[in-house]
Amino acid sequence: MLRLIGRRLLLMVPTLILASMLIFALAEVLPGDVARSILGPYATQEQVDLLNQRLGADRPVYERYVDWAGGFVTGDWGDSLLFDEAVLPLVMRSLGNSLLLAGFALVLIVPTSIAVGVFAGLRRDSLLDRGITVSTLSMTVIPEFVSGVVLLYVFAVWLKWLPVTALPPSGSPFVSRFYYLILPAIPLMLLELGYIARMARVGTVQVLAMPYIRTAVLKGLPRRRVIFGHMLRNAMVPTVTVIGTQIGWLIGGLVVVEVLFAYPGIGNIMVQAAKNKDLPLLEASVLMVAILYMVSNLIADIVVALLNPRIRMGG
Amino acid sequence: MDVRSPDLREPDPEAVETLADGEVGHQEPELEADAAAAAEQRRQRRFLFTALLRSPTFMTGLVIVLFWVFMGLFSTAFTQSPTSIDAMATLQEPSAEHWFGTDDLGRDVLARTMAGARTVLYIAPLATVLALLWGSIVGLVSGFYRGITDEIIMRLVDVLLALPIIITSILILSLLGRGMAIIIITIGALFTPPVSRTVRSAVIGEREREYVMAARLRGERSAFVMAREILPNIKEPIIVEGTIRLGYAVFTAATLSFLGFGLAPPSPDWGLTIATQRVFLQIAPWAVLFPAAALASLVVAVNLITDGLGRVFSK
Repeated sequence: MLRLIGRRLLLMVPTLILASMLIFALAEVLPGDVARSILGPYATQEQVDLLNQRLGADRPVYERYVDWAGGFVTGDWGDSLLFDEAVLPLVMRSLGNSLLLAGFALVLIVPTSIAVGVFAGLRRDSLLDRGITVSTLSMTVIPEFVSGVVLLYVFAVWLKWLPVTALPPSGSPFVSRFYYLILPAIPLMLLELGYIARMARVGTVQVLAMPYIRTAVLKGLPRRRVIFGHMLRNAMVPTVTVIGTQIGWLIGGLVVVEVLFAYPGIGNIMVQAAKNKDLPLLEASVLMVAILYMVSNLIADIVVALLNPRIRMGG
Repeated sequence: MDVRSPDLREPDPEAVETLADGEVGHQEPELEADAAAAAEQRRQRRFLFTALLRSPTFMTGLVIVLFWVFMGLFSTAFTQSPTSIDAMATLQEPSAEHWFGTDDLGRDVLARTMAGARTVLYIAPLATVLALLWGSIVGLVSGFYRGITDEIIMRLVDVLLALPIIITSILILSLLGRGMAIIIITIGALFTPPVSRTVRSAVIGEREREYVMAARLRGERSAFVMAREILPNIKEPIIVEGTIRLGYAVFTAATLSFLGFGLAPPSPDWGLTIATQRVFLQIAPWAVLFPAAALASLVVAVNLITDGLGRVFSK
């Protein structure tokens, strides 16, 4: 198991280097003249030259890349042009906020969708089963900002059950943050619910057909024990696997939800940086998101391995 | 006789001759078989068509999509102008004059909702076509040649997929500016890797078949074998992949315009409208909820088409 993790961590290094090259190429090489693309067509040539010099964009590409990547590794991430602050603490603070939201969303997503899926699977092919499958799958294809804005209207504006903002007023206890995060977390949940519930349903249906479940039922175990003791564990494996494949969409969804709720997470910071062409902040936050993406994929793989003895032992 | 020469790309002349001789000898039954095969193909196509017409999922999706296509093309002929500003009638609730109310600039929400279909219906299909085109070429080359070519192409594909698509497109669009053509090319390029993966695996399934071998023995050029022999035989997975991508393209295009990387105001684009009108959610929810419902109906409809098509093909 440890060898598996070690190997995967080592494999992350080249991928990360390639991703950083991709980010650098897209941000600084693709637009041609960096300063011109920041300042727009109305800036004078002198201003453009000056900014290019300040950004170091007048040096050869590989030199700039090595400089930038080296700075990233040693913690020198430069200063944000937009927020007038060092990039590193800013990105770390936003990352913390994002992880809180994403973690909270996952805590809601996993049990809810497994419960929904198992529920549907136990009532296989009934009207209720079909209704659940169709409605949850329709929800997954609707963009988060659409479901988010509808939820905001219904629960915050109309019913007034939940707050409109995603952050409590400063000075509130930490626990109250979760209350404010309920509304932003639901669109993320709806995005994933359909896929995960479908996998949980398929897993349930398959496991139900297994002889060991029949044995358990025939030997007179109560229904609840059969479901919780025998079935759930095996129905979990495909479910966790599918969560792993959905992480990219979840991160995309995180960006959208943070923008919609004006939540100060890494996605929101990244969009702000992109809109204002704040290159140091943009590159650092995108690279950070890439790392987040890879680490979450790794964690998903590890969890799958932990649940599946055949992978766990095989290393 | 052994028709399998060691190197298929340079056929053994003798083997080709024997093969040709054989063909001449059985010309008539071969022609009959051809005619029978063509008739069978026609019958299958007709069967597929009626199966699609009978699929309620497919037809519901199609009707909704056609409705939006019609609205996108012609709505301005019978609604009020989607861009005319009326400073005396801002944020009015739905009335006989403005069925869906007005937005912050006094523009008619009904007209804007109907016309809002246009941009996404340009961007998503064109981006999908680009992705299918590029993805088919890349997948064909990769799957046909295998070896080192395949290895290099697939590693490049991995790198492009190392970041969530939304993140990469934000990075590209923030610096290259907003405009329909750039958005289409960006989404098309970012959807190329998944398409090429699908095409590649389909090609690998086909390349060892007899008809491919026969074409090579006839001495056909690789490009001909790929485009005229293999491609027609893998069009089903490509069509299904295309409809899946179309759904994602609608999703991605709408999300990008919500985040502010799509078209500029005063475009009635749904994502953009939701982004700009959401600050008025408490006083004028209609300006947000109608475009949101419209967008939701379109994405669900596209996915119904995908679902119906996939089910008919898999039969």
